[in-house]
Amino acid sequence: MLAAGQVSVRAGGATLLDEVSLAVRPGEILGVVGPNGAGKSTLLKVLCGDVAMAAGEVRMNGRPLHNWSLCERAKVRAVLPQETALGFPLPVFEVALMGRSPHLRGVESERDRAIAREALRLVEAEHLADRDYTSLSGGERQRVQLARVLAQIWEAGDARQPCYLLLDEPTAALDLAHQHAALTIAARFARERRVGVVAILHDLNLAALYADRIAVMKRGRVWIEGPPETALAVEVVEAVFAVRASVVRHPRRPDRLLVVADR
Amino acid sequence: MNGNKGLALLLAAALAWPGAARAEEAGRIVSVAGSLTEIVYALGQESRLVGADTTSLYPPSARALPQVGYQRSLSAEGILSLAPDLVLATEAAGPPAVIDQIRAAGVPVRIVTHDLSPDGLGQKVRSVAEALDRAEEGERLANRIRAELDAALLRVGAARRPKVLFFMNAGRGAPLAAGRDTAADAMIRLAGGQNALADFEGYKPLNTEALTAAAPDVLLLPEHALTALGGEAGLARVPGLTLTPAWRQRRIVVMDALLLLGFGPRTGTAVATLARRLNPDLEALELGLDR
Amino acid sequence: MTDNAPDGQVAGWPEPPARRSFPLRWPRALGAVGRGRWVLICLALVLLALAVLALGIGAVAIAPGQTLAILGAQFGVDLPWAFTAQQQAVLLTIRAPRILLGALVGAGLAAAGAALQGLFRNPLADPGLIGVSSGAALAAVAVIVLGLPPLAASGGLGLYALPLAAFGGGMFATLLVGWLAHHHGRAQVATLLLAGIAINALAGAGTGLLTYLADDEQLRTLTFWSLGSLGGATWREVAAIAPPILLALALIARYARTLNALLLGDREAGHLGFAVERAKRVLIMAGALAVGSAVAVAGIIGFVGLVVPHLLRLAQGPDHRFLLPGSALLGAVLLVCADLLARTVVVPTELPIGIVTALLGGPFFFWLLWRQRCQQGGW
Repeated sequence: MLAAGQVSVRAGGATLLDEVSLAVRPGEILGVVGPNGAGKSTLLKVLCGDVAMAAGEVRMNGRPLHNWSLCERAKVRAVLPQETALGFPLPVFEVALMGRSPHLRGVESERDRAIAREALRLVEAEHLADRDYTSLSGGERQRVQLARVLAQIWEAGDARQPCYLLLDEPTAALDLAHQHAALTIAARFARERRVGVVAILHDLNLAALYADRIAVMKRGRVWIEGPPETALAVEVVEAVFAVRASVVRHPRRPDRLLVVADR
Repeated sequence: MNGNKGLALLLAAALAWPGAARAEEAGRIVSVAGSLTEIVYALGQESRLVGADTTSLYPPSARALPQVGYQRSLSAEGILSLAPDLVLATEAAGPPAVIDQIRAAGVPVRIVTHDLSPDGLGQKVRSVAEALDRAEEGERLANRIRAELDAALLRVGAARRPKVLFFMNAGRGAPLAAGRDTAADAMIRLAGGQNALADFEGYKPLNTEALTAAAPDVLLLPEHALTALGGEAGLARVPGLTLTPAWRQRRIVVMDALLLLGFGPRTGTAVATLARRLNPDLEALELGLDR
Repeated sequence: MTDNAPDGQVAGWPEPPARRSFPLRWPRALGAVGRGRWVLICLALVLLALAVLALGIGAVAIAPGQTLAILGAQFGVDLPWAFTAQQQAVLLTIRAPRILLGALVGAGLAAAGAALQGLFRNPLADPGLIGVSSGAALAAVAVIVLGLPPLAASGGLGLYALPLAAFGGGMFATLLVGWLAHHHGRAQVATLLLAGIAINALAGAGTGLLTYLADDEQLRTLTFWSLGSLGGATWREVAAIAPPILLALALIARYARTLNALLLGDREAGHLGFAVERAKRVLIMAGALAVGSAVAVAGIIGFVGLVVPHLLRLAQGPDHRFLLPGSALLGAVLLVCADLLARTVVVPTELPIGIVTALLGGPFFFWLLWRQRCQQGGW
């Protein structure tokens, strides 16, 4: 389990996170939603250990995060950034292969290359393998990054300890089909390889469709956390997002909800 | 017959022994200073010169010699490629490592030092002459130069000594003015003037206040500095210069740098010329030497 | 007007050709590792050949046979070609240390450039950018103009006063840049660059001030030193800078994979398990060590740190496991070549080597900019 306990983050007089407690279990998808400035990205940074906390602690697989060395962390936790600017031309395959870095012993093995290829195939980007990364469109780049990140925790199923996938707005640049494809892949990883997934999402419906639990944040605090039925209640949407909405059952998937905004 | 043969063998051996010939006289000389080159020419030994530096501008035929570059940044292998037997240089030659390398390769480097005085000049000429194995000619030349200098100095006497300011450009930044212990200072005093800026040593950037306080009667500068400044118009732009008595009376003396500062064979002429310019009311000197 | 261009590209721009990343056609089967190894082997051979060639060419005429004989004599091998003592002195005490020095300086400057470009994720990054060169220059100028008594007075050390000062100045400038750019244990790239600009400006002003105060003699020394020169290179200088430069090269090479990961970004490299902050500190120090040593003995030589890594990236891509050693080798090759030109083109004098590298590097730099303009994807 990857858990943040009573975490507070302050910077330059402002409180970015105020006593936030959250946990994600292996095999489940936790969606994090909220308006701009809610602290979603900061929360993700806290879970990665990238930012100094004023209070609280983060524990991963039972140990405090700061007890983990950078290399140990990298073997069980992969982070997909919102955007990656690559200054130099690099073949797409090499970018994906970089995901295997924490597991390398010296040079990349044949197995590492096979994993990178598989990951690219999974995100439907293997036809881009020889292309120059800087010549790709935003959506294509996002998919390649996803492949890299998946390659990093590819062996989650065989690993002795649970792995985690942190996604920062993974669907931002993707077209509709790929948005769903990406989240489907994340869901499969969660189910089949017992990976704990934390995904920051802007689209409430994507959260409703794919997340097992949703944390709604506003102004540095967790407003509510729970399964979509509770987290995406009409009152919550109105209070947090200032939008009048109706929450209905998905016509074809009765176990899932849809959030439809009123005018 | 045997005697003749023996003599012929001995002669052949003497002629064939390069060591003997070389130990006597350096046949290929590289000169790394304009004044040293001038002295070599004055001694009539210019046929032995195989290379000269950028300051060797007089006589004009010296410019046709293979160029070894600026005296402070010589090339060891470059100089060695001229196959010299001797390198003549002043203390300004460098970098020191290169001088060492030339010596290590078996070529002697003769550093000629001297005082900035008439005696020192004679010393310089004699040193060069000795290095060239022409001590007699050197003595004669030194005496001749000394005679010219003495004649010029006699004329100057105790006449009114105007305050002279010497300055020149050294690239970017303010022009540099000459204090004590410089060639310019020595020449000014020899020619019957006094250095307007005598309270520091060496060359220092021209300070406007110091300039005004010094109030020189005459401005002295080398030709290339005037050109670099842009003629008289450029001079006017030097801060503080237009406030000096020298400017008001337009008493500006321009001379060739090597002639003025070289401290070489033409120093007598230089002093005479400068003295004439500094004190125009002195009767014309009949030295019989052209400028 | 935005037609339906594929994948979000804006219509009106030319479509970038869906081509391989590198203009050089490599056999596909070779792969990145094969390509890299091949380039390294080629460069090493070229360097060796060039060194031997440069040893045999120079202002003083020495035939190839004589060169071999002189070298052979050093190892007790007797070869049939006769040579004079002067030729031996020229070869062993003038040319040989000069070539070795050129190779070391070139390798140091190029490797430092490659490391800094990776560190700053900026293809324009250059050791001069972070203030090392100007810091070293400032210290050297100070010694020349102010003639710091303690250093000058210490007899034998006096010769080393200038190199030591330059090296110290370079390190100090780099430490200052690092301190300025540090924030909560993080060194942001943009801040590093700005701090480098500030240091450069300060050092430039300091150097300018000292130049203003310098007298004629000092000024002329300064001008020629600032154009860079390998003239007067001796075995002492080689012995003085070989350890620091080799150490710097070794340190830089250790972080090749970290630099690869840094291409993705500081945070992403951290997420992949690399100790980014430590890498940055070590790489900056190593860069300062290499460049400071180089500036100390050879003055300011520009463009090597900029041009060499670029050429290599064009040939084999930005994988630092090969880019770093490759840059060192190619930098050595470039500088030995440039020095060969500098000391043979205007015999019996020689060109300052900084001019030669600028003549070679300047047009290349323009070509780089022009090429970027024609392609999509920017800096």
